[in-house]
Amino acid sequence: MAESFILGLSSGSACLVTCGMVMFPYLMAGSAGVKKIVSDVGVFLLTRLLVYFAIATLIWYFGQKFLSSQVIRTWVSGILYIVFAVMLIWYSLRRNQSKECPAGILASVENARIIPVVLGVVNSLGLCPALLIMLTKSSTEDTLVKSWLAFLSFFAGSSLWFFPLPLAGRIRKKEIIRTVGILATGLAGIIFIIKGLTILIGGIING
Amino acid sequence: MKKIKMIAGITWAFLCLILIIILFPGWNRMTEAVSKLQFMKINPNYTGGEIAQKLIMPACTLDIRKPVFDGLFKERNNGFVQIDWRGELTDILIDTIDYDLDKSPDFIIEIDRTSSETKLSRINSKVKDVSVSTPTSYGWAVRVNLKK
Amino acid sequence: MDSTLKKAGMNKSFGKSLLYTLPMLLITFMFISGGKPDFSDLSSTLAMLITFFGVNILYFLMHYTGKTDKFRAILFIVFALSLSFTLISNMMEMRNSMSFSQADILECKIPFCHLVIPMMILPAAFTKSIIFPGSIIGGFANIASMVVLWLVATLVLGRGFCSWGCFYGGWDDGFSRFRKKKVIKRISESWRWMPFAVLFMVSITAALALVPTYCDWICPFKAVTEFEQVTNVESATKAGVFLSLFGGLVIVLPILTRRRTQCSFLCPLGAINSVSNTITPFTIKIDKTNCSECMKCVEVCPLFALTSEDIKNGKVSTFCSKCGKCVDACSKHAIHFGIKGVPSGTMKNFSRNLFLFVSFLFIAVFSSGTIINSLQSLFKLIF
Repeated sequence: MAESFILGLSSGSACLVTCGMVMFPYLMAGSAGVKKIVSDVGVFLLTRLLVYFAIATLIWYFGQKFLSSQVIRTWVSGILYIVFAVMLIWYSLRRNQSKECPAGILASVENARIIPVVLGVVNSLGLCPALLIMLTKSSTEDTLVKSWLAFLSFFAGSSLWFFPLPLAGRIRKKEIIRTVGILATGLAGIIFIIKGLTILIGGIING
Repeated sequence: MKKIKMIAGITWAFLCLILIIILFPGWNRMTEAVSKLQFMKINPNYTGGEIAQKLIMPACTLDIRKPVFDGLFKERNNGFVQIDWRGELTDILIDTIDYDLDKSPDFIIEIDRTSSETKLSRINSKVKDVSVSTPTSYGWAVRVNLKK
Repeated sequence: MDSTLKKAGMNKSFGKSLLYTLPMLLITFMFISGGKPDFSDLSSTLAMLITFFGVNILYFLMHYTGKTDKFRAILFIVFALSLSFTLISNMMEMRNSMSFSQADILECKIPFCHLVIPMMILPAAFTKSIIFPGSIIGGFANIASMVVLWLVATLVLGRGFCSWGCFYGGWDDGFSRFRKKKVIKRISESWRWMPFAVLFMVSITAALALVPTYCDWICPFKAVTEFEQVTNVESATKAGVFLSLFGGLVIVLPILTRRRTQCSFLCPLGAINSVSNTITPFTIKIDKTNCSECMKCVEVCPLFALTSEDIKNGKVSTFCSKCGKCVDACSKHAIHFGIKGVPSGTMKNFSRNLFLFVSFLFIAVFSSGTIINSLQSLFKLIF
């Protein structure tokens, strides 16, 4: 659980850059009061959580069906951890250079009320490397509850970045926080590379 | 205002000078004072926990410590119990341990000190496995992993 | 007086330099000998005298030549080498190995160092305990004494601790001086925020796992002190990590970039010390009236503390460790040691003298015990 929380916490800055920067103007436009802003962020986060639980359930069943052998589990999880962790590092370096907004789907949404829901779904299905690492982890958990708890921890870690969103206008030195967050994402990638290597080497030694 | 800032800065710098001059002769006293602060104790995950039972036997003493489940905010689901053997130890150590003081045995530990082989026979379902079994300066120590 | 010195730099005459060195001679003699010098043993007497005169000659030269960094670095590097030499020879004598065992961890016999401090904070706040298998008081490198030392040094020097106190910094400082020219000339300024990301990650991981994760997994200086016995895949992986980091960040990159890359890109304590730079009275100031914006100071700064933007704004960043390299490099004497509240360009000499006395006294006394011990061990080996 701690690993998932840390992954969420370190990669959450990328989530914020993706969706937070889209939500922020939406939240600040018009005469949205604090209650409405808090409620919209709450709906966004709740949607993310529900989607994560659905993903955790699906991927766990997938793991039980196709990764039942310990040998396959060791090799697949070890290799995938390394591949996705490298992608996470690359992702963090790319984020450092450009400020993309993949949530462009919002332009086609007419009903403003469902924007937080749409954002929540888009953000949680974004297939970012951090989520791919979580899918790998979840598929190799012993029980469904552990899979849910892993995603819950990931959600908790990544969501912490969204809490100050209503106060975003007042936070100074955003650029520094963003840089540190992106570098932390890269570090999380390194942690999972080491984890993947440890699993693979352990698997080779133990046969 | 500029003059006040200057005087304040220079005074502050001189205070730092005094602090450095008294640091080394006063180091022991400051260290003693800091060591008495509330948080200045080693976490039980490292010390092994307080000694709960001291069993004095003919040649050696067996210390059974309190189980450690300490986490950051609350107790964890997984922890350990540390057992220490002190004194004149035989090559083979076999002891039945009741760590939770409920008067029923929880596990049997067998240690061959010559080969460092350690065998754990679980009686209580909360007992998991041996995480550490090592010679120490006082004899031997074992940590057995537990579930809550 | 200041304008004459401005043309000639910060150097003083022989007599004046000797006068400035006198207080340092007296205080270091008191602190090194404990007030009761013992000349009964030849090797310890020799070691003490070499150390005593060595540090004071360096201090004298700082005043006589007006240069700071070169002489600071000599003591700084010797300190780092001495500490490793002393630690390693003690361990080889006691255990016949540089590695510590499970028993050492269980018996809380691991020497403490200041790099653990960032990871201690959150767990200490929540669990009211220290997550390190060391001793609180008594014995070698106990926790309370190191905490006191670091706290006082940080309050007084801020990030100056990284150039005037840290007994590891001398390693990458030394390697950064190997080549005369840089091979890698351009490194993005964003990387200097990496220690904050490391601090963030190790604080969180240490708090959740109740393990000092930086020490356990990352610290490159385990290569020159002590490390966990390699008994399984995990400990072997840890050894691979710290050896790679030592090789990369302490040896190779400093040689190629002429910068202190371990301190600039990894050390989480450096991140905390950067913040404490805001509370220390000593600083580096830029005198815009004399500055020609040649950017020589930016080129030589080993910790990425100066950027071209900083020079244009006339303000040194919070990453500055006050090593003096930029001050020595500036031909216009536009960048100088200063005291907060004192306008830039004024009281340069006074500020430098006061800062040098404070910082050099700290490193001289802090390092002397280690240097004396290592000299004694060296004499035993040779004779």
